[in-house]
Order: sequence, then C-alpha cells, then structure tokens
Amino acid sequence: MSMPVLSVRNIEKSFGGIRAVNGVSFDVHKGEILGLIGPNGSGKSTLFNCILGQLPPDGGDVSVNGRNVSGMRASDLNRLGVGRTFQQLSVFPKMSVLDNIILAGQEHHGSMLSRLFGPGDAGLTAEAEKLIAFFRLSHLRDTLAGSLSYGQQKLVDAAMAFMAGPSLVLLDEPAGGVNLTMLAGLKERLTAYNAEHGTTFVVIEHNMEFVMSLCTRIIVLSEGSIIAEGTPDEIRANQAVIDAYLGG
Amino acid sequence: MSQFSQVVLSGLATGSIYALVAIGFTLVWQAAQTVNFAQGEFVMLPAFFVLAGMSLFGLSFGTALLFGLAVSVVVLGLLFKKLVAEPILPHGGITLIIATMALGILLKESVKEFYSAEAQPFPSIFPNDPIDVFGAVLSMQDILNLAFSLAVVVALTLFLNRTRTGRCMQATAQNPAVAEILGVNVKRMILYTFLINAALAALASFLITPVYLAKFSNGETLGLIAFIAAIVGGFNQIRGALAGGLLIGVLDNLTAAYVTAEYRAALPLVLLIVIILVRPQGLLGTKEGRAV
Repeated sequence: MSMPVLSVRNIEKSFGGIRAVNGVSFDVHKGEILGLIGPNGSGKSTLFNCILGQLPPDGGDVSVNGRNVSGMRASDLNRLGVGRTFQQLSVFPKMSVLDNIILAGQEHHGSMLSRLFGPGDAGLTAEAEKLIAFFRLSHLRDTLAGSLSYGQQKLVDAAMAFMAGPSLVLLDEPAGGVNLTMLAGLKERLTAYNAEHGTTFVVIEHNMEFVMSLCTRIIVLSEGSIIAEGTPDEIRANQAVIDAYLGG
Repeated sequence: MSQFSQVVLSGLATGSIYALVAIGFTLVWQAAQTVNFAQGEFVMLPAFFVLAGMSLFGLSFGTALLFGLAVSVVVLGLLFKKLVAEPILPHGGITLIIATMALGILLKESVKEFYSAEAQPFPSIFPNDPIDVFGAVLSMQDILNLAFSLAVVVALTLFLNRTRTGRCMQATAQNPAVAEILGVNVKRMILYTFLINAALAALASFLITPVYLAKFSNGETLGLIAFIAAIVGGFNQIRGALAGGLLIGVLDNLTAAYVTAEYRAALPLVLLIVIILVRPQGLLGTKEGRAV
C-alpha cells in the first residue's frame, strides 16, 4: 500500500485528570475522505488540534506524507500543504472575496524581495478566480466577505483552504450553521474537488446525513478512543456506535 | 469670500495634520486593540529630535528632518512596541492604555526637564508666502501642508490595499489567529503598524510645529483633538480618521473666525458628545461586535 498522506500514531492528550484523547492511531490515504465523528466531548476537536499543531499532544506522532510534523506550528503545516477550514468563520470580513482567497495562498509564493516589490496580488489573481468560479462565487468576487451570508462565508472559507494547493485538507464542522441548499452545494463542490485533484480530506462533522454521504470511510471516537471504523454503511450498522452515538 | 476661503483652507491644512495623527490611532487600534494615549507626545517629540539633531550634531534642517524621522521610527515605533506594548499587552488592552498615559507624562516631563520648558522656534518645511488664487489670498504653507498630508494618506491607503504586505497587515488587524495559520508573520505586521504610526506622528510633528512652536506641552491638545477626530470619523476606518481630522480642522477655524475664538477649544468636545449620542460608530465607521 502507498504511503499514507496522514498518519496518526498513539496520540494522547489530557487536561488535568481528564484524558481527552487516549492513544488514537489511524492512517488516511491519498484521495480518501475520512469522517471523524463522535458525541460531544469524545475528543474529536482535541485530536484535530493536536494534528494541526494547535495543541501539543502529551504523546504520539503525526506524519504528513511521511514527514514527522509533531509539534510543528500551524503556519508551517500550512506551508507543507495541509489546509484547513474552521468551526468558526475565519474569513477576513473587511476584505473582498478575491483578496481573502489570494491571501490564503500568497505567503507560499515568492522570495522576500518579491514580497516587498512584487505585484500586490502575488500573481495569484487568475488562480484565485478559478477557485472562486469552482465554488460558484464569481458573482461575489469583489464583495466584502463580511457582508456575505453565513453559508457563502463557509464556501469562501473552503476555497481559502484549497488556495495553497494542499495535499490534505482538514474540515472542522463544515456543515455547521449552513442551510440545506448551501450544504448540498458545499458537499457537491468538495466531492468534485476531491475527484478532480485527488486531495485527501479529514472531516469532523455532527451532521450525519452530510458526513455519511460525503465520506468514504468513517472513524468513530468515544471518550477519547476509537470505537469503530469502516464505511458509512458499516458504521450505521455498528451496534457500539448506535449505543454510544447514533442512538436507536 | 477671500477670508472664508483662507479660513477653510487653513482648517483643511490643520485638519489634515490631525488626520495623520488620528490615522495612527486607528492603525494601532486595529493591530493591537488598544489606544495609545501618548500619541500627542509622539507628535510633540519628533520636532525636538530635529532640533537636537541641529543643535547637538550641527545637521542642516533637511538632514535633521531625516534624522528626526529615523529616530522617531526607532524610539516611538520599535522601542515603544518592544519595551512597552509587547510586554504589557498580554495583561490586557486597558493596562496598556494606562501605561501609555504614564508614558505620555514621562515624555512630556522629560522634554521639559532635559531640553527646555520654553517654546522653541521650528523652521517651516514649506514657504509661508501668500498666493493669489482666483482673487482669494491663500497661504502657500497651508496648501502644501494639505497636499503633503493627503499624499501621505493616499500612499498609505495604496500600500495597505495594493501590496502583499498591506494585505497581510489588514488580515492581521481583522483576524490574527487565522492570518498566522495562513503563514502571515503576525508579529512583524504588528511591528510595521507601530513603525508606520511613529512615522505618521513624526510627519505630523514636522508640519504642525512651525505653527505651534516646539513645546513640551504640545501633545496635550494634539493628542486629544486627534483622538476625537478618530472617534468622530470612525475609529476602525482610515478614511473615517481622515474625514474626522478634516472636519474638526475646518469647524474649528470657522468657529474661531465667525462665532467665537474664546470657546473654540470646546468645539471638538461638543462634536465628540454629539457623535457618541447620535452615531457612536462615527461618521464613516462600522459597528463592531465584541464578546466580553
């Protein structure tokens, strides 16, 4: 089997006496869309933050494309091709959609000199416009991001995650607060991007319909440990998952 | 008509200098979510750096201006950020605000103690000859002060909107956590903001001191008026600070010329109260929500 894009090994994290993540290990391969689900307090967000370098794990390792990235800062991970979206809105509200998306890619381009004296758009306008069109936001190109609807801002957030050409994107509750129409569009765009570019996704999500229809494989966490892993159909039928999370 | 034009132009010229200082308030607010109450003293001090350059090092006025600008950027930008803002800001914006009040007093009293308590003459950058424009006699100095200040504001706006570094500075002001994750060097962007604020204060100092003379207490009035200008225009907008500065400059002059010179100092305060009651986000500002 090929080298995993993301490899998580024995990640542990405690807060005081509470063990939030308890020796979690899994691999994600190129082109996979992995869902990470579980009840509130199961350790999903803590695990996500450990992977993304926003929380130092107490133990364990994280590798991206074979490179150990444990303890690496989030900005360095971004440079290595790990994109992310945020649970909370993360757009820059007083900048246009175009400027938001250019910004998401510009720090990966050019030397110190070109940063100071190069073109203001870092030569990324055409690339940003392609992404804007892909996410069907062309009519909002010059609109201030802060004036968009919540769902539209989620789409901008997603487009920003792809601007640096990542090999791996971690999506933190992308469906949260998004209306059904917009949600269908978001899912369709993510699936299309995955098919077109072979980008690997890891998704934390509470919306079961969304996660079951988007993901190719799902890991279920409960009390900091993996209790099940499999395809969406296998997870739906798993009695431990039904008992701990999905309910009867 | 000639007097009216002169009064308005002079008001715009003074107002544009207030605007430079007010823009510094808004930049620091956006980058560090704090208010620098030593800002008035930041305008008072560069003129003394220039005078010191001329008297201590025998520099020509032009060279002394460059010296004053450089020293201001280092002392009021770099050192202020490293020695005052950076260590104190983690303890909260209010703590830093109080610290800047103390810093303002320290700077003012230091100039009084170690330089002079007397007002010092300060050469004018631009000639002060009257010129005739369509029958109205206007001051060349006012015209050039206004043109220079507006050029600085336009250059700053272009820098913030059209350059990569400017976009990074905006991103840092709007969402520093996400900006950092996207690879923006947030600390450096905040430093740039402090350096630009210091440069703006120095330029304002060089333009206004020929009128006010160099005096240790200049910062009291200048800081207060610029602070009010920033609030009146909208504290979170550069164009708001510009509008607030120009408005106060013109109203101040019109009041002094046609109503009363006695209460002109009260005008900015009255304007402040009216704006806070009627439009608290300022003339061009936008409402900002904040979790507490």
